[in-house]
Amino acid sequence: MRLPAVVPELIVAAACLLLVALAGWVRGRWRAAPAAATAAVLAAALAVTAASLGAAPVPAFEGTYLVDAQAQRFKLLILTAALIALALSACHFRGRAAEAHAPAALLFATLGALGLCSAVDLGLVLLFLQITSMASYVLVALVRSDTHALEAALKYFLFGAAALAVMAYGLTFLYGLTGSLDLRTIGVRLAEADRGWVAVALVLALAGYGFKAALVPVHFWAPDALGTAAAPVAGFLSVVPKLGAFAALARFVVEALPPAAVDWPWLLALLAAATMSYGNLAALRQQRLKRLLAYSTIAQAGYLLTAVTVLTRAGGADDALLFYLAAYLLMNLAAFAVAGSLELEGDRAAALRGLSRRTPPLAAALAVALLSLAGIPPLAGFAGKVLLLEAALDGGMAWLAIVAALNMLLALVYYLRLVAWMYFQAPDTTIAAPRAIAGFAAAGLWVCVGGTLLLGLLPGVWLPSG
Amino acid sequence: MLSVTIFLPLATALLVLVIPAAHTGLIRGAGIAGAAATLAASLLLWSGYDSADPALQWRQRVVWVDALNAHYDVGVDGLSLPLIVLTALLLTLTLIYVAGRRERAKMQVFLFLLMGTGLLGVFAAQDLLLFYLFFEVALVPMYFIIGIWGHEGRRYAALKFFLYTRLASLAMLLSFLALYLAMEPHSFSLPEIARAQPYAAATPGAGLVLLGLVIGFGVKLPIVPLHNWLPDAHVEAPTEGSIMLAAVQLKMGGYGLLRVALEALPEVVQRHAVALLWLGAVGVIYGALAALAQRDLKRLIAYTSVSHMGFVTLGFAAAALAGSESLRRFALTGASFQMVSHGLLTGAMFLMVGLLEARAGTREIARFGGLLGRLPRWSALFAVLAFGSLGLPGMSGFVGEFQVLGATLATSLGAALLVLIGLAVTTGLYLHLLSRIVLGGAPASMPALAEPPRVGLGIAMVLAVLAIALGLVPALLTGVIAGGVSGI
Repeated sequence: MRLPAVVPELIVAAACLLLVALAGWVRGRWRAAPAAATAAVLAAALAVTAASLGAAPVPAFEGTYLVDAQAQRFKLLILTAALIALALSACHFRGRAAEAHAPAALLFATLGALGLCSAVDLGLVLLFLQITSMASYVLVALVRSDTHALEAALKYFLFGAAALAVMAYGLTFLYGLTGSLDLRTIGVRLAEADRGWVAVALVLALAGYGFKAALVPVHFWAPDALGTAAAPVAGFLSVVPKLGAFAALARFVVEALPPAAVDWPWLLALLAAATMSYGNLAALRQQRLKRLLAYSTIAQAGYLLTAVTVLTRAGGADDALLFYLAAYLLMNLAAFAVAGSLELEGDRAAALRGLSRRTPPLAAALAVALLSLAGIPPLAGFAGKVLLLEAALDGGMAWLAIVAALNMLLALVYYLRLVAWMYFQAPDTTIAAPRAIAGFAAAGLWVCVGGTLLLGLLPGVWLPSG
Repeated sequence: MLSVTIFLPLATALLVLVIPAAHTGLIRGAGIAGAAATLAASLLLWSGYDSADPALQWRQRVVWVDALNAHYDVGVDGLSLPLIVLTALLLTLTLIYVAGRRERAKMQVFLFLLMGTGLLGVFAAQDLLLFYLFFEVALVPMYFIIGIWGHEGRRYAALKFFLYTRLASLAMLLSFLALYLAMEPHSFSLPEIARAQPYAAATPGAGLVLLGLVIGFGVKLPIVPLHNWLPDAHVEAPTEGSIMLAAVQLKMGGYGLLRVALEALPEVVQRHAVALLWLGAVGVIYGALAALAQRDLKRLIAYTSVSHMGFVTLGFAAAALAGSESLRRFALTGASFQMVSHGLLTGAMFLMVGLLEARAGTREIARFGGLLGRLPRWSALFAVLAFGSLGLPGMSGFVGEFQVLGATLATSLGAALLVLIGLAVTTGLYLHLLSRIVLGGAPASMPALAEPPRVGLGIAMVLAVLAIALGLVPALLTGVIAGGVSGI
């Protein structure tokens, strides 16, 4: 084992332990200290990861952990997302107790997500899923006076505990069939296993991955948790754990599931179709901005799963997955950032009315984010969807590509409704003006908006040259 | 030079963004100057174009997305050059038309210029991914233009417009991706696809790829069962939006059929050409009959637009069916000519209706009569444009429709008969309209009227003069078009 390869994880883990103590101790203006420390840690981890991007794969911890190129690229995205979300939430909670607590929980969740990128042992995967989940429950319940949030956190906790227990049960089947929890060993031995039991194990194991990625039918926590958590935190929760979950899922299906043992692409394709359709249909009826965005993240998870479905069938699927995740983190964080400035009014989407007259820059930022989520060029979501559809067609899943395209059409209805409120309606003067976004939060927002444009115009910056 | 033409509007739009909103005059001036410079640049392209050479000219090709083998690849030929000049011209005229308004000037100028870059890019792009990008960039601003400056039902119309458009572009995108994947190595390059013909063999997927393209371009054109968004969008759009929509945006559909579908899938088009021919013929007659039933002047013009654009579908299908090379060229030249002519005449028609509405506050045909006495200038111009639209020889409408009709006659007598009936209906329609509102007696409910502003009439006059010039000397345009048509 070579220690330098896991330096980012080690820094983050060490900082987590220190921050817990620090967060409980600071008062007054020192409440900003944990956020500053977290930012420094994330930036350092980001720099180390970026510097080692081209390095050869390094196994660690007795072969249960693998730092390879794919893991590094996922980690880069996770750390970037965490840094932006930190900037947003630090400004959002300024002067409140949560200002000190948020960074610690955020960093814990980030640690879990980082681990998911590299874990090649299913026991470790479960452990990291738990770490991320624990921190996520805390993040939802961050503002202790908000009873709705506490209720959502409790539901989230119960749901998560159940989903991860189901996954653990599934892992016992895999262990029983192969005598190992190592992905590659499972992949080799599963080829001779009984197909029926493999299918059972797969379905059970997917509960855990699906829970973190918010896939149908284990998505129920998402609208409640994301709809009640503070907007920047909701943004974080909809991006970072999802990045970790997709990284782990991609590794799981490619390495541990030989096509001969189980026809997993079809199962995932059905899940993808169900997830995107459900997310979009449910989002159509939402009147609250964060809840609508929560359903939109479910739909987006369905698109992402499309790329996972064809990972072994289409050459560009892994790049499509990574690209779409990058696009998703930027546009989704931007949308939640603007939602954060509007949530004072009980999060009614009506607060968007006439926003283009009240604060043109905020309206423009949200419009860019929403149009990108809808896949309109020249924005990142457009390039991502082109890559996804290309991968799906290339992988022989033309029907899934068509389902995805129809879903993109459906999604346009609710994204456009928000845009229409902002641009086509007069401001509602009974609703308080949106809170200004300034300082680091503004920087975070505009990095997201700029990145959304950049990835749309020049997708090549986050694609390996072909 | 071509890239300069394409991106001049965008550069101006970005410049406008940094001007403070209070400086309305400066914003308007910058917008008009940028559009005029674009027009000048496009005329330079025209003057430098060698119509004897069928190859793409002003070609520029650099790597855009390496991983997808996509290029920033632009070039023009005789098919696209007239549409580029048309776009620049109408963009300039439209911005001049709205120059007097103060309300949300910055946003308006920005959106029109952004749309300009999208439209110019569509007509120049030789890479399908780039084409798709420009295609949507041209459409999104129209959503905002309808939704912000439109009439009462604007939000519904804007949403409907965008949803139809999105349906079309997603179908188109799937077809583009299918073409891309069928190429070995994968490529979005249109000239390469046209050379390699990946779907030359009768594979089952080929029909679906064509279907995607026909839906994609057919919504914009519009081909008749897909036209439903158009009357709503036109009626609810502000005049300046209707002008750009009718005069230029619909041409993206026609151009796409000729450029992409016919070049990339000629055999597949030929296999389905009879059906497409009938779709075109039905469009001609349906648009004419539907226009007959309208009471709203703008809705009437919108339906005649459907009828006129049916000729483009017809020309496209007739070209695929044509037995001889000369007949094929005849059909394609006709379809291209019709697109330019329709851009001038219908753009001007929407402007005239808008001018009248601005004065009268209504578009209801029954409330007008005897306008010749009250608004002599408006009436004279309207009459000229109406005669042009009904296809009077000596004006541009005649040339394209005549050529397409000739080509149709040679391929299918039945379709040609249908088209002839449609033409007769259109003629009757315009004559009836003229006798009713320009001549005739004024109804009691007619609002008090004053002659529209000179700027508006001047712009319509420019378009009418161009339509007459092209009608009298079609060679001005056919010479250029012929070069491009021989390449398809």
